[in-house]
Amino acid sequence: MAAGWKPDFEALVDEHQSMVYSLALRMTGDSGLAEEIAQDTFLALDDNLGRMESADHARFWLRRVTMSRAADALRRRKVRSMDLWVEFDENLSGVREARSSPLGVRVEQLLQTLPEAQRAALVLRYQEEMTPEEIAATLHAPVATVKSHLQRGLKLLRAKAGELLSEYLRGKEPAHEA
Amino acid sequence: MKPEEMDAMEWELRSALERRAAPESLKRNLLVRRRKRTAERRHARIVVWQRLAAMFVLAAALGGGYAWHAHEEQRRGEAAREQVLNALRMTNEALDQVGAQLETRDARKQAEK
Repeated sequence: MAAGWKPDFEALVDEHQSMVYSLALRMTGDSGLAEEIAQDTFLALDDNLGRMESADHARFWLRRVTMSRAADALRRRKVRSMDLWVEFDENLSGVREARSSPLGVRVEQLLQTLPEAQRAALVLRYQEEMTPEEIAATLHAPVATVKSHLQRGLKLLRAKAGELLSEYLRGKEPAHEA
Repeated sequence: MKPEEMDAMEWELRSALERRAAPESLKRNLLVRRRKRTAERRHARIVVWQRLAAMFVLAAALGGGYAWHAHEEQRRGEAAREQVLNALRMTNEALDQVGAQLETRDARKQAEK
């Protein structure tokens, strides 16, 4: 363990619960499941607390385990993109009120329709502002694969958001609301 | 990521993907689960120690019983051996007496002749 750094479980929870919950939420699109994943992740951290060498190590570990558990949860539930869309709407209906940009909400929803690997790369890139190298280390994937996922994910997102964006720029609510 | 390298979609994405505040129930429920798990693990540890102690007592009882049985067998064997020796000693004495009587009788017969 690094000299001078002593892990405090509750302090780590306070510091990282937002990150862990948000990652799980963006990966699963289900707030209940995200909370469950976050709790499981922190309980696993509690078991491995003695192995944490530094604050950075703990953050990296939490990101990696959260993404892994979210992927496991998705595989278990075999959630399809359309189901996610519905769940996302149901579970995150309160978010819309809190957000000033309806386009932002739609972009986040569109993200849920992307393949899991692309979504994971984009979430880590734009939520956590990680570099492709850091994402690769977190997801145990080659850097080239991560870069490919990022490019393809963005391209797919742009395509899906094309109509939405033009409607937004014209000041209309998207047709999806109907 | 450098801001000048980001296009509108990326800006929107970054804005949309700001971290969400975790629900208040998360930490509360987490700490409840942690306490419950700690208690369960402590209970499981106690049960393991209880079982170990019970096994130790059982092993000690079996071992003690076996040792007592072996000791008793040895004691009985030695007592039997002692009895046999006593019987041999008494037989020897009886034979000595019979021998002495026969010698006395033989001596008397020769004297009469």
